[in-house]
Amino acid sequence: MSESKPIPAGHHAVIPAPDHELDAELQTKRMQINLGPSHPAMHGTVRLKVELEGETIVTADPEIGFLHRGFQKSCENVTWNQVLPYTDRLNYLSALMNNFGFLNAVERLMGVEIPERAQYIRVVGSELHRIHDHLTCVGAISLELGGFAGFLYGLEARELVMDRVTELTGARLTTSFGRVGGVNRDLPPGWIEKVLKTLDKVKELAGEVDALLTKNRIFTDRMRGTGMISTDDALDFGFTGPCLRANGVDYDVRKAKPYWVYDQLDFDVPIGSNGDNFDRYLMRIEELKQSDRIIRQALAKIPDGPVILDDWRIVLPPKPEVYGTIEGVISHFKLVMEGVPVPAGEVYDSTEAANGELGWYLVSDGTGRPYKCHVRAPGFPILSAVPRMIEGRMLADLIPTFDTINMIGGEVEQ
Amino acid sequence: MSDKDKPVGSGGSRPAEGAPTTSPAAKVGSEPSNPPAPPTATGERAGHEAQPASKPPAPPAGGPPPKPAPKNPGMVTFTVNGLEVVVKPGTNMIEAAKQVGVEIPYYCYHPRLSIAANCRMCLVEASNAPKLVPACQTPCAEGVAVKTDTFKVQDQERATMEFYLLNHPVDCAICDQAGECKLQDYYMRYDAKPSRLEGQKVLKNKRKVLGPLVVLDQERCILCTRCVRFMAEIPQEPQLGVFGRGSHEVIDVFPGAELNSNYAGNTVDICPVGALLNRDFRFKARAWFLSAAPSVCTGCSRGCSTYVDFFEQDTYRYRPRENEAINKSWMCDQGRVSYKYLSQGRVKLAYIGRGADVREATRAEALKELAGKLAPLKGKVSVLASPLSSNEDLLASLAFAQEVLGAKEVFVGGRPSGAADHLLMTADKNPNRKGLEWVAAGLGLALRPFEELSKGIEGGKIKALYAIGAEVPVDAGKFAQSLQKLELLVVQAINENAITAQAHYLLPATPHTEDEGTFSNLDGITQRFRKAYPGQGESQPHWKWASELMNELGLTTRYNSAREVFRALSARVPELKSFEWDKNAPPARERGGVRPLPTGADGRPMGRREFGEPRVRGI
Repeated sequence: MSESKPIPAGHHAVIPAPDHELDAELQTKRMQINLGPSHPAMHGTVRLKVELEGETIVTADPEIGFLHRGFQKSCENVTWNQVLPYTDRLNYLSALMNNFGFLNAVERLMGVEIPERAQYIRVVGSELHRIHDHLTCVGAISLELGGFAGFLYGLEARELVMDRVTELTGARLTTSFGRVGGVNRDLPPGWIEKVLKTLDKVKELAGEVDALLTKNRIFTDRMRGTGMISTDDALDFGFTGPCLRANGVDYDVRKAKPYWVYDQLDFDVPIGSNGDNFDRYLMRIEELKQSDRIIRQALAKIPDGPVILDDWRIVLPPKPEVYGTIEGVISHFKLVMEGVPVPAGEVYDSTEAANGELGWYLVSDGTGRPYKCHVRAPGFPILSAVPRMIEGRMLADLIPTFDTINMIGGEVEQ
Repeated sequence: MSDKDKPVGSGGSRPAEGAPTTSPAAKVGSEPSNPPAPPTATGERAGHEAQPASKPPAPPAGGPPPKPAPKNPGMVTFTVNGLEVVVKPGTNMIEAAKQVGVEIPYYCYHPRLSIAANCRMCLVEASNAPKLVPACQTPCAEGVAVKTDTFKVQDQERATMEFYLLNHPVDCAICDQAGECKLQDYYMRYDAKPSRLEGQKVLKNKRKVLGPLVVLDQERCILCTRCVRFMAEIPQEPQLGVFGRGSHEVIDVFPGAELNSNYAGNTVDICPVGALLNRDFRFKARAWFLSAAPSVCTGCSRGCSTYVDFFEQDTYRYRPRENEAINKSWMCDQGRVSYKYLSQGRVKLAYIGRGADVREATRAEALKELAGKLAPLKGKVSVLASPLSSNEDLLASLAFAQEVLGAKEVFVGGRPSGAADHLLMTADKNPNRKGLEWVAAGLGLALRPFEELSKGIEGGKIKALYAIGAEVPVDAGKFAQSLQKLELLVVQAINENAITAQAHYLLPATPHTEDEGTFSNLDGITQRFRKAYPGQGESQPHWKWASELMNELGLTTRYNSAREVFRALSARVPELKSFEWDKNAPPARERGGVRPLPTGADGRPMGRREFGEPRVRGI
């Protein structure tokens, strides 16, 4: 489809002589165009400065920062649990995974293990939001390559997932779910059955999307062989998640370093081979099915029991104890005003988020607030590889490439 | 962690949830209001995990072992949690453990008071005793291994905390001590278990007014007797006592007496819980919103080291700061409530004109007009200086008076003298008289008593007066009447009074909380104080007014900070020359940068905490 060799900077094509004396002279200057910051195909608010030689991209320069909120610094000013609402806004398509990933890192720094039921709830929540994230990604690919139907099917399924998440957490998008030591509320009554029905429906709708796109000639022509990156480059750039697995590298944090109860659940990690847009798309289609498997197993196996630790130094006491006993009110006061006392130290901990390894580097000075909170957003290294993937290719390839890396402004720009 | 066999909040004999103190708050009955709960059917009391008590080792046969020879002659060497400590003989274990960073909890112990050893919080394991020993009371012995982290000690700490909280009212939400309370701190550190109280809590007097500054909540009291010992030992005015027995034991004043000592406020500081509270501060602010700046009390010439607890641009209270040389851990009540002038009746804008002609002016306007007035009057303006001002203020202002106004003498203003007492409070109510004397002598200015100024004005000899500070040692109203005769009166004032009303030029000045600087107390000890917050309104320090006026009059001398003033001018004052301004600064912050309180991020203002000190009051 596109030329394989990039045009070196400063090169000008030979000006062809006009066929007719009345023909206008062909414009041969390079054209600079801006994709974004507010362009429908720019997920979030990112600006791509693209220099074109005809229709060929000579340079592409992603410019981020429009969604910068000072995430890391803000975290230092609040208690550990108060960081949660900030993590919602990282990857806002899979807020639960950010919530739980952060909490997992804090709990590792504290050296506590959460109750098994809470671990299952975290797995179910994470996988629901993985489905949510992938549906959005696949739907958006479809939309931006001209297939509105795929988008609508995807969004219909996504809406069902969102409803379940709302029932669980009370919020559609900014879930702020979970607390240090577990999760803050148990599954609502009847929720498991609803989720199973939802999964059936999502499977059906995702199947529609799959059927509409995967063997569609127009779609595959634009996806296959575009946005390629070599395995070495992908590793060097720091790719993780579906984008790395599309290159055939078998790396999934859930398998490499199992956390929660992932090692007790049976699921496969799909692996691609070409490292192009189509493989990255296929990874997500396949992961939708795997997440479905995980959730069904988890909901079948979920044990009864507490959903949060019973330790008043970490977890707020039950409300009757807070209002009725001095012990409860002291614990509540201290936890709210000063925060959970996390022992001094540092930790790097990661979980497998929808777009790859979501890493947390946390430093505690022994007080109730983070001393340092750094997040390794999976989208950042992938976005930084966009020039390598697209320079020398056609402008039309940019859209599917940008779609399949699934850049999320919230986590990249923090 | 908690007992699994006893679900919380569901026991039949428990009080109604959320209503543990339903009885009248002020009931002072002689009847026990907490009859012991009847034993349960099985005779077992459900609760925290019962742990088998380790059997103490049998004493060795043949009498006590011989005393080991000291490892370090003249000192006692022993270990705390395996760490070797070398201390002077007679040092107690709490202080010794502090040396190696081991914290032993305590309520009743205070390093400056006698030992009561009644709180039982500091019990530790010592290798030379079969039972736990109170660390506050036990002197360290050679070769002994002290342990503070064994199960036995921790279980004792937990049990002690449980007893303390058994009858403690559910008051954190309405208690002034919340946020700086040792009960809260130690509960989280050493207990963190649910309540096992069955039946009612003991009810006592919730608000017993003990004296003009102190109110007592007997329910919150843990009877550590720190306050009783303080009153008996430090001001030696034994106004407090322990009355009653058993569950009815309370702290109180003797019948018909009241806690009216000038040092009563210190009992509030050393109270580890919220039992004794300051009536002046109570319900004014929550402790966690307040930031603290290390400062110096300006109530008298003693210059007690203090913390200024402030929120935004207002001071809410003074607390004494440790200073071995001056005030130890204490301060007097008059000083404690002397913060009020910092916010009340402040001059916040510059004013030009007097009487009906008075108008507000910007600082620049006032400076420009004043400079025009002062320029032709060199040598004809008398100067009044207040010993309430810092050394830096006086250095710059008197240098300005000398160079620009051509003054050769300075009249001494300041607050009128008052009563002194037997401990800290002095008769001179000005914090920096020594500094004024030093600075004037250093600059070669003669100090003249205030009476000469009054006479000079009455007699018409003095026609223009420049007042650095509007405090006068006589009745301000009367003195102000004589000021009507003046052709020019410039006043740099912190507070409004009758004198400022007569000023032709009234310039707003800052008190010590709004700038940094030094005071020299009556013993000649110079202390740094830190800035708490920026000047209210348009006010700025005296030195800055001096510097800006000099610039306005064409001089090139310019000072940008109190530090610059001190560095430039202190060389002329022998007593201040050797004072190291930077080295003597009390630490201002816990760590670099702003450290907001936990609530800082939700739009409420942030604060900083003092360095190194525990948030808990009174050590």
